[in-house]
Amino acid sequence: MKTIKKLLSNDAVFVAIVSSVLSLLVGAVIILLLGKNPLTAYVNLLQGSGLLPKGKYGGGQSMLTDFVSFVDAWTPMIFAALSFAVAMKAGLFNIGISGQMLAAGFISTVFIGYSGLNAFAAKPLVILTGIVVGALAGSVIGWLKYRFNINEVVSSIMINYIFVFVVSFFINTRYLDHVSRRSREVSAASRLTLHQFEIGGYRYDIPLGFGLALLAAVAVGFLFNRTVLGYEIKAVGLNRVSAEYSGINSKRTIFVAMALSGALAGLSGVTYYLGRYASIGPRVLPQTGFNSIAVSILGNNAPFGILFSSFFIEIIGKGSAYMSSRSGLDTEIASIITALILLSSACSAYYLSLRESFRSRRKADG
Amino acid sequence: MDKIIIDGMSFTLPLFIMAIGGICCERSGITNLAVEGLSGMGAFAGALAAYIAVKQLGLGYAQAHVAALLFSMVGGMLLAMVHALMCIRFKANQVVSGVVINLLSQALTIFLVKTINSTVFGRPSDQIDLEVSTRFTVPGISSIPVIGAFFRNVYPFEVFIILVSVVVWYLLYRTGFGLHLRASGDNPHALDAAGVNVSVVRFKACVLSGALCGIGGICFAYSISAQFSSDYYVGYGYLAIAALIFGNWNFMPTLAACLIFGFSRSLGYQAVQWAQLPSAWSDLIMILPYAMTLLLLVFFSKTNHAPRALGVIYDKSER
Amino acid sequence: MMNDMTGEEIIVEMRGITKKFPGIVANDDVSISIKKGEIFAILGENGAGKSTLMSILYGMYEPDSGEIFIRGKKETISSPNYASSLNIGMVHQHFMLVSDYTIAENIILGTEPGAKALGFIPFVDMKRAEREVKELSEEYGLSVDPGMIISEAPVSVRQRVEILKMLYRKAEILIFDEPTAVLTPQEIESLLNIIKNLRDGGKTVILITHKLDEIKKVADRCAILQRGRLMGVLDVPSTDTSTMVKLMVGREMDLAVEKGPFTPGKEVLKVEDLTVKNSDGVTLVNDVSFTVHSGEIFAIAGVSGNGQTEIADAVAGLLKASSGRITLNGVDITGSSIRKRVETGLSYVPEDRHNVGMILDLELRDALIIRKYYLPPFQNNGILNRAEAETYADRLIEDYDIRCSRGGETVTRSMSGGNQQKAIIAREIDMDRELAVFVQPTRGLDVGAINHIHRQIVRERDRGKAILLISLELDEVMALADTIGVIYSGRMEKIAGADKLSPHDVGEYMMGVGKK
Repeated sequence: MKTIKKLLSNDAVFVAIVSSVLSLLVGAVIILLLGKNPLTAYVNLLQGSGLLPKGKYGGGQSMLTDFVSFVDAWTPMIFAALSFAVAMKAGLFNIGISGQMLAAGFISTVFIGYSGLNAFAAKPLVILTGIVVGALAGSVIGWLKYRFNINEVVSSIMINYIFVFVVSFFINTRYLDHVSRRSREVSAASRLTLHQFEIGGYRYDIPLGFGLALLAAVAVGFLFNRTVLGYEIKAVGLNRVSAEYSGINSKRTIFVAMALSGALAGLSGVTYYLGRYASIGPRVLPQTGFNSIAVSILGNNAPFGILFSSFFIEIIGKGSAYMSSRSGLDTEIASIITALILLSSACSAYYLSLRESFRSRRKADG
Repeated sequence: MDKIIIDGMSFTLPLFIMAIGGICCERSGITNLAVEGLSGMGAFAGALAAYIAVKQLGLGYAQAHVAALLFSMVGGMLLAMVHALMCIRFKANQVVSGVVINLLSQALTIFLVKTINSTVFGRPSDQIDLEVSTRFTVPGISSIPVIGAFFRNVYPFEVFIILVSVVVWYLLYRTGFGLHLRASGDNPHALDAAGVNVSVVRFKACVLSGALCGIGGICFAYSISAQFSSDYYVGYGYLAIAALIFGNWNFMPTLAACLIFGFSRSLGYQAVQWAQLPSAWSDLIMILPYAMTLLLLVFFSKTNHAPRALGVIYDKSER
Repeated sequence: MMNDMTGEEIIVEMRGITKKFPGIVANDDVSISIKKGEIFAILGENGAGKSTLMSILYGMYEPDSGEIFIRGKKETISSPNYASSLNIGMVHQHFMLVSDYTIAENIILGTEPGAKALGFIPFVDMKRAEREVKELSEEYGLSVDPGMIISEAPVSVRQRVEILKMLYRKAEILIFDEPTAVLTPQEIESLLNIIKNLRDGGKTVILITHKLDEIKKVADRCAILQRGRLMGVLDVPSTDTSTMVKLMVGREMDLAVEKGPFTPGKEVLKVEDLTVKNSDGVTLVNDVSFTVHSGEIFAIAGVSGNGQTEIADAVAGLLKASSGRITLNGVDITGSSIRKRVETGLSYVPEDRHNVGMILDLELRDALIIRKYYLPPFQNNGILNRAEAETYADRLIEDYDIRCSRGGETVTRSMSGGNQQKAIIAREIDMDRELAVFVQPTRGLDVGAINHIHRQIVRERDRGKAILLISLELDEVMALADTIGVIYSGRMEKIAGADKLSPHDVGEYMMGVGKK
């Protein structure tokens, strides 16, 4: 009980819990209005994510296979949210994660996914390409920001659309699979997810990138707590004028932070397009890139907070298909609940001030 | 040539009214990245109203059109209230609120269209079909070479947009409300000190923005596809934001930006047809407005002045 | 001073006003009554509670206890709006103006004269507004051009606009919060005349200030506050200034600091023909040259906004010099990065301690190492040494008497202004650089903190450091300087030894009327 109280006294934890609970309640009301049982729907979400056992399983499937698939979907979200957090620490709003993911995914697909290299060469190369392309795409935004003073929100939105249409053009003219209307699938050797990998009669989608995602979370935490670069990024993000006065080169710092953010978005892109999926849909930005903004904010832009918040949000995303098939609710209900959680997490200042006034009132009452 | 002008205008004007919506909101000091979501919700409400008017109430085409425009404003306003509440009452980060409202709007419109289609109209579909809008030609002027094309095959909503934008301009620059709205985006403390409630002004500005974005949404629905589905307008909201930033939050330069976007697009499509290129090339044409915005920002961002209090949460105690 | 009050009618009465903020009693049982048609001054040091008291009268704060009577009637003033309806107006220290609007638009904002075109389309009658503003400004001798855009108007004009705003709203009780802080001497003179005009026109004026000479010139009576308590209400013409000073600070004001003899050493900072322009091309610093030697306090005196902060920013590298040369320790640093300058031998305590001097959201320990974090032993191969930062913070907290609730882990924003400033000064002095630049190092601090900081500045000078001090307080300049440079509208009017200039001389140069 005491530890719970202590945890709740942490502002970030308090905000995350309040906004999640509130949104789940609102979601429950919506589901009730649709004449369905919200509790069953929520249990279905957990079942679909392999966190609770389903009633029955098809051949080669089990709760564990579901959970491993869930982790497969969770991995790109961790990278993307970390990407947002790194930029945010530098005071930059990277709304271009989707575009950076797409660029990294597309280049890796074309140059390595279609190359016929063996697994030992291809997989590390995919990761490397993801990092490099993502970092380049991110640093363009940083460069436009410090060189021409272009608001990063505007430039990244523009660049998002430029990437979408360029990629779409190349897919439609050169790489189209005429059956799926998406790009041709990449080779199994280059994929970062071992697709339908059989162990003891069960078939798993094993995400090789997951370990890397955990490692990235630890690394980002280390960056901001223990390194010179992290200290500089934080200083610039908190007060750019004062950081410059102190002798920090804020332009360089912004550039580096955006490159790092882009690199993480790139990793998200390759674990998404060459991991969870094996192809790219034309004219679509990955929703993960936008959701990650709010996931990161829900996790207070801190790596361990992000691990929790992404886990939570991804349960809703991943479990929605099963919920839809079981209870007949549209999958969009899941998106709506996600959006509500994200909307609600943006009100952190309000919750904190409410709690503050509640506390002072209790104090005044004795 | 005519086709470039006709298509160009029918793209430019809805974009312009959305950008004006953005201007109204941002001049009051609230960042509005939700233009896209607001126009989507407006388009949905308008399309639904038109569908009901024709299919259920058996009204004529003209009435349906009016209903669509009216309800598109209502739809946009309702969702804009959410943004206003988030930004004013709950002191949320305005950028996050905007982005999330776009996510919410998309999920909500798909969901509502599906649900309403299957439960009310008994036909599973994720689209709402609209009657194809009639067009009209102004006799006389339309026969002038080149310029005449501006008066040929005009959608009725184009005239409506021009009228509305004149009214909004008057509201912003000639009335007391407009004086308050612009003051609220420049120095809300001054407005507060003058005894005007900043929150109320911003709330109204935000709701007005929703109505204008809604109009833009339904007009795109008519001009582009003659149907509502939640993915047709993706990206236009952000394009409108680019236009207003490029236009320095002022009406005429924003209109110029919208014209550039509209005409480069129609010109591009026409060029693809003339050159008899495969349709995939239209993807490259779509890049034009975005690339152009970036390029222009590189040259003009130095002289760009956003409203001073834009995006700053107004807190009375901080002076 | 003529005391031509028309009657003895009490227009404002505040009884037993108490207002507490966390950790401080801003007003402690203060009672004053103000007569109709007088100029009533409220005198006190920074932080004495003057502004709080008047903010309560203007409805911006509610008092914890106490009562307010306006024209004999008890009122609960819950908002500035309500205060306006009682004909109370206030000119704030920070002007509340819309910079994109014209003067007339600013004045009518909130009470626009309306009209209807074609009988039903509402619009704001700007023609009428401009005419009314014109008439009003002529009536009180406040000449302004109604069509001028505020962002293009000089400070003194903006202040007039604020006054006109009050008059346009038919204010009878006019509160001025430190109105002269931003003005040049001539402008002060003309403002004081305007204030007298207003009184003669039947208005009641409340003047908040800490400047005695202004009170002497215009006020009829004055209330003196010290640390939130009312020390007395005096009849100004019959009271001498030293009595007022005593009541204000609680003892004779003594800014004199013990200094060793002046023995200047080698040249540390040499500024030659420095010119600084802002982004609009306006010249802020015009062809300024001076040198600062080791063991010397070189003070730049001047009225706010005459280019002195820009000189400091240009020396420290926060602003670019348009032309000229800056040499530090024999190295030309005109185009150097900020970090290069610091490494060459510069420390800098900037004017704005909240937005520039310190990142208030950092913990004190992190804020203290911001000049050194990239050097060993604070880092090793890019990894920060936490323990080292901890020890360092503990040492500075101890040595410089920084009061903070949780030691190095205190978030600096939660510390008092005086302790934030102490932390900045500790961080800068501890770098042990040859040149130390201080801009307004004691602004807004209480007497104890001021003395503490003055002693540190002098100690550094006695240790052979070169000190560039920029201050708006003439007393501070006179107390500390070895050499004084006086700046007026971007030009260095005079440079001379402190012993060769009287405060009166400096004052004249500050107003641009000194003999060349």
